[in-house]
Amino acid sequence: MSFLEVFQYTRQDSIVHRLDPRAKLFLSLVLAVISLLFLEIFPLLIIIGVLIPMMTAAKSLRRWLRSMKGLSILLLFILIFNTLLSTYPNPLNYSIALILRLIALMTSFSIFFLTVHPDELSQALIQMRVRFEFAFAMSMAMRYVPTLGQEAYAIMDTQKARGVELDKGNILKRIRNIVPIIVPLIIVSIRRALSIAESMESRGFGASKNRTYMESLSFQKRDWAVCIISLIVLIMVIYIRLNIPLPDWSIPF
Amino acid sequence: MPLIELNDFSFKYYGAESLALRKIDLTIEEGEYVVITGPSGCGKTTLCRTINALVPQFHRGYISGNVIIDGKNTRDHTVAELSSIAGLVFQEPENQLVTLNVEKEIAFGPENLGIEPTEIRRRVEELIKLLDLEHLREKHPHEMSGGEQQRVAMAATLALKPKILVADEPTSNLDPRSAEVILDIISGLNKLDLTVILVEHRLDLVSKDASRIVLMDKGSIVADGPPREILAQDICQEIGIGVPKATLVYKRLKEQHDIDLGSIPLTGDELAGLVKEASS
Repeated sequence: MSFLEVFQYTRQDSIVHRLDPRAKLFLSLVLAVISLLFLEIFPLLIIIGVLIPMMTAAKSLRRWLRSMKGLSILLLFILIFNTLLSTYPNPLNYSIALILRLIALMTSFSIFFLTVHPDELSQALIQMRVRFEFAFAMSMAMRYVPTLGQEAYAIMDTQKARGVELDKGNILKRIRNIVPIIVPLIIVSIRRALSIAESMESRGFGASKNRTYMESLSFQKRDWAVCIISLIVLIMVIYIRLNIPLPDWSIPF
Repeated sequence: MPLIELNDFSFKYYGAESLALRKIDLTIEEGEYVVITGPSGCGKTTLCRTINALVPQFHRGYISGNVIIDGKNTRDHTVAELSSIAGLVFQEPENQLVTLNVEKEIAFGPENLGIEPTEIRRRVEELIKLLDLEHLREKHPHEMSGGEQQRVAMAATLALKPKILVADEPTSNLDPRSAEVILDIISGLNKLDLTVILVEHRLDLVSKDASRIVLMDKGSIVADGPPREILAQDICQEIGIGVPKATLVYKRLKEQHDIDLGSIPLTGDELAGLVKEASS
């Protein structure tokens, strides 16, 4: 699963990290839309050629390469099966384009997820008029994922100590083995939820209709620049797509 | 007017078989440091919850009698309204940290109440300094030790500027060293004029700072008074309270060897002083 690394926030100090999350969200969406507009190798290569310097600017090129390496098996899979089974005139050409599109899409979104801290994300959502409760629920889910993981391991150890053989038997048996883990996990989580609610309540959660925020995001000149450039590029690309025929360079297989 | 006043207060949780609190009468004045102790299930936690109206507003049940906190009856005021009067610190630090870093955690309470961002920033900086959290500022709760988490939880509670700090066994999941740090912070806060109510089993660590000990058993208060008086009573051993070793030595000397040291010691140092005095 190492290819998912590219969607995980990493603490860095780079130009991309410092951009406003809303600007980055717009940039990512524009890049993704552009990647979806093309299914020809040449334009997709240009898109990836633009994305790689952006990754470098986010100081995350190495992480990106590692993720792509993790993804390579899947890519190979797509390549082989599409080439063999596709009904298109040039199946190899088509499969390569598909792979490039997948890479371009993943990279576009990773520019957002790799560089936006969950806190910034929820603050951005709030400032985009999402209700605080929803944004907070999201950031809290992220907060408690490692805690829950730890708890699951503790329960697994306990059950093993009591003689439950978790990693033996056929698939059906293994699926049934989840029950003694999931049931206590749910019970413990409900209890934990109550105690969290108690603590939040004691600190005035939901007390004031006009909740304030210690830090708020503000759009700077560079954020506007990113948005405007993205928009111009998007319009240009759509225009090219619709009105200018692309040279049909393709691999004749 | 006392800060906390419980008048003939009883409480039973829905679905429970017996009363959690039975006819509690308790008044606590401003600036006191009250240690509540007693065996498990004696109602200490429920008593803590009554002080910021979690009982009866959050935990529903049958009530009789009244609880008046700083002039407000908890029957008619929400937990949120009382959050800037009484702040609770709970046993499990992990469940009190709901955000992704320490600054946000401290800011969470005041943000909920709608306080000005500049004022929130000021409080955050003040508490980071007061509780020595500078090195933790950007950390995820998961990256901190239990003691650090509890310190952050305390800062988060204090950010609401409460008049009363209620701490429900804040040290029970901590190692002795971190526990001592937390208890030192609490007694330091009491010296800064904060009223403290602390549920604690390690009486040898807290009784020297406490101004009063309340002993509970089976939902009622069985003894209430200054530490030295309460800890010398036989009832402490009867219901199984961790009486400080020094006090036990004093009692044994008095009862079995007929040696009276004059005053009741709470710490080893005090005992040593008394012994020196007696032998000279």
